[in-house]
Parts: sequence; C-alpha cells; structure tokens
Amino acid sequence: MLRIFTILFAGYFILVGSAFAAPGQIESENNQDTVVELSAVSPDADFDDDFDADFDDDFDSNAVAPEQLIADPLEPFNRGVFWVNDKLYFYLFKPIASGYGSVVPRPARVSVGNFFSNLATPIRAGNALLQLEFRSFGTEIYRFVINTTFGIGGLFDPAGSIGGVRKISKDFGQTMGVYHVGPGFYLVLPIVGPSSLRDATGSFVDSFADPLRQPNLSTRDYLAIKFLEAENRLSLDHDTYEGVVADSLDPYLFIRSAYAQLREAHISKNTYDVNMFDQPVFNTDELNPLDWLGF
Amino acid sequence: MMKKIVLCSLFALTFVTSSFALPQPQARVEEMVNTVLGVLQQTELSEAEKKSEVSGRVQEYLNMPSISRRTLGTYWDEATEEQRQRFTTLFIQILEGTYLNRMAGYSGGTVKYLKQRVKGNKAIIDTLVISDELEIPVQYKMIYEDGNWQVFDLVLEGISLVRNYRSSYGEIIRRSGYDGLLTLMDEKVEEMNTIK
Repeated sequence: MLRIFTILFAGYFILVGSAFAAPGQIESENNQDTVVELSAVSPDADFDDDFDADFDDDFDSNAVAPEQLIADPLEPFNRGVFWVNDKLYFYLFKPIASGYGSVVPRPARVSVGNFFSNLATPIRAGNALLQLEFRSFGTEIYRFVINTTFGIGGLFDPAGSIGGVRKISKDFGQTMGVYHVGPGFYLVLPIVGPSSLRDATGSFVDSFADPLRQPNLSTRDYLAIKFLEAENRLSLDHDTYEGVVADSLDPYLFIRSAYAQLREAHISKNTYDVNMFDQPVFNTDELNPLDWLGF
Repeated sequence: MMKKIVLCSLFALTFVTSSFALPQPQARVEEMVNTVLGVLQQTELSEAEKKSEVSGRVQEYLNMPSISRRTLGTYWDEATEEQRQRFTTLFIQILEGTYLNRMAGYSGGTVKYLKQRVKGNKAIIDTLVISDELEIPVQYKMIYEDGNWQVFDLVLEGISLVRNYRSSYGEIIRRSGYDGLLTLMDEKVEEMNTIK
C-alpha cells in the first residue's frame, strides 16, 4: 500500500515538477543581451523554431494579399445572429452586468471569477494531457492544488499572484487544432458569440468534463450558474465590445478576423505562454514541493 | 605572421560589429511607452491636450507609411498616389480615434519587458501589460529604417493589428471597391470627431 502511494506521489511530483522549468530553459527577463546572443550563438532548438516562425511574412516588404482569415459560407446567417447578439448585449446582458457590478464589490467579483476558473481545471488539464503538454498539465494541477488549499477553494489565485504560475487556457477545439483539424468555418452562436465549426464542437465536448455538470443538477440550474459566470465576467470587462463597435468600419469583419487570429495563436506554439518568460519564484521558496522532497 | 593577421582582423571584426551594433530596439519601445505614460500622468493637461500631445510624440516611433502600406497589402500597389495619400491620412485619424479615445478610461498599469529578439534589421519585443487582474501580452514588431527602430505592427494576445485591419479592409475593398472603403473611413472619422 505504502509502495503504491510512493509511486503515485513520485509520478505526481514529476509531473508537477515539470511546471518548474529547468533553469537552463529560462531566459531571465530584462536580460535581453543574453537572449540575443543565445539565438545567434547556440540556438536552443525550440526557441529558434519560434523565433523564425515569428519573423513571418509580415516582415517581408513585399505586399501581402489581404486574406480572409477564416471561411464564412454562412455569412448572412452569422450576421443575423451577430445582430441579435449585439442587441442582447446592449439591452440585456450589459445592463444586468452593470447592475450586478454596482452591487457586488470588485474584489468579490474577481474572486467569483477565480472560483469558476479553478473549478474548470479538469477541462484545461485534460486537454493539456490530450495535447501531450505535460508541463502545462503539471502547471494546471499545481495551480489547482495551491489555489484550492491556500486560495480557499479557489476564491483566490496565490499560484498566479504570488507564485507567478499562470493559468494556461486549453480547450478541446484547440486540442483538435493541435492535431491539424482546421476551424471548418466561422460560426456566430446565439448569446455565446464568435466560434467555428471545430470550436463549437470542442465546447460541446468540453462541457462533459465540466465539474458543474452534475447528474443531480437540473439543466435550468446549470444554465443559471453559467449565466452568473458570464455576467460576472462581463462585469469585470472594460467595454471591449463597445470599443470595437465604436472604432471599426465593420465590427462583424473585425471580430471575425480577431477570432480567427486568436485561435491560431492558441493553437500555434506557446509564443504567448507568459509562464515561459517568468522565473518561477518557487525554486527557492517554502512553497516548492521539490524542496520538501530534498531535490 | 599570417596567424597574427588573421587573429588581429578577427579581433578587429568583433570590435567593429559590437561598436556599430544597432541601438537596442527595446529601448525605443520603452522610450515610447514612457513618453505616453508621462503625458498621461500630467494632471494639469486636459483630455484634448493629452491626446494631441501623445499623438504628436508617438508618431515618431511608428512607421506610419509602412503600417498603411502593409494594411492595404496588394491593394496598395493598385491604388493611385492620391488614393494612397487619402487612405494614409484617414487611417492615421482612425488609429488616433481608436487608441486615444481609449486613453480616457486609462486607470494605470505597468508594462513588463519580457524579451527582445533581433534578427538583422528586424526585431520582436515581447511585453506584458498588467492592469488590475488582467495581463495582456503585447508584442511589438519593429524594423530598422532611416537610422531608427520603428514599430510597424502590434500583436495583442496573438492578434496582429495590421493583419486584422488588412483582412477586414481587404474584404470591404473586395465588396465595394477602394472608394467604398474611403467613404466608410470618412464616415467613421466624422463619427469619432463628433463623439469628442
């Protein structure tokens, strides 16, 4: 019995340990000279791949043909749904969020957001596993353990705010993308907003891993909780949608392109993984489980 | 003897390359960000004064002709000189309207410089903008031109602004032609000015 535990624990810590990057892999911030030299002299294979991929066609002085970033055969239908969502946003969801925001103080709303985010860990961790990203899996498990205990059931995010270990967004649409499933075509879903054939399917699959989906919870209650989560998120938002509507020539086209690019970025290599840049402070900290084990 | 010459020239070469190295692009980004923050923190200025101050100062760091050209992509080549001029003027006004109006709601925040990557006359600067509980990765793509590092694209959370504008403006040109785009831009600028 003890043996099994030891093996389980060892396995767990190896996984979690991967969240603490090996010192050699980290470029410390504000040390740009080393980074530049690294790429010139001894390119780390991973780093160099990203590096070249980022210096893409946009650096080319040749003109790039304007491209439609995602196919949109259902555009008339999508525009209809977009119009309805726009009205729902301005006349229903936004006023509710503002009212809610004026009653509930901001720190409490941030905590509600943290709580839901912590609860959704299985979705992110599961998808990290499916994508064979063990480091991200370790990060998510680590965050879950720290935030559920020290963070009082996930209301606070000490793993991120103190430890600098941040959430890594993973979903099944992204997992499919990683395995080279294309987005299919653009879809604007009622209430939910921009999506694609692949990502809408992904959300549906993810919902089965959602801990909120309990057999003894009625659909009505489930939707009510989802509604609270969405309104809470909206109350923390700084008028992003209003800005897009006010500034773009055609908000529909602007959001479509932005969505396509955002998802591309989610699927491509971890260029935007903020954890990549940060030196984990846990390396020498009391909170570092590796220290307890004497590593 | 030969060995010595080779060695000397090698030394000389390393020396020359290091002393003639291009100025650091990240320093330019920091300078730009600090300029903007500096203006925003001057409490004695009115909103309008702040806007014109920022817009005047920031343009030095942005390569507007390049941004305009990249935004239109192949349509730039097909446009007449006059159309290009009109587009550039309107586009600058739209960008100003978009980002300067947004500044009014600016509530403070910090910028963390994460990484600088340089390859010849090109550079990518990764930063993280932290405000409240939000952390937004912002990437500056720069090119060394006319003796200066200049920003030609901003990538926020993986969304390139130039690509976004190019894709949506391209679609508008495809549907209603170059003049259709310019008319829409005219209307948008008008609208932005009346809101102020």
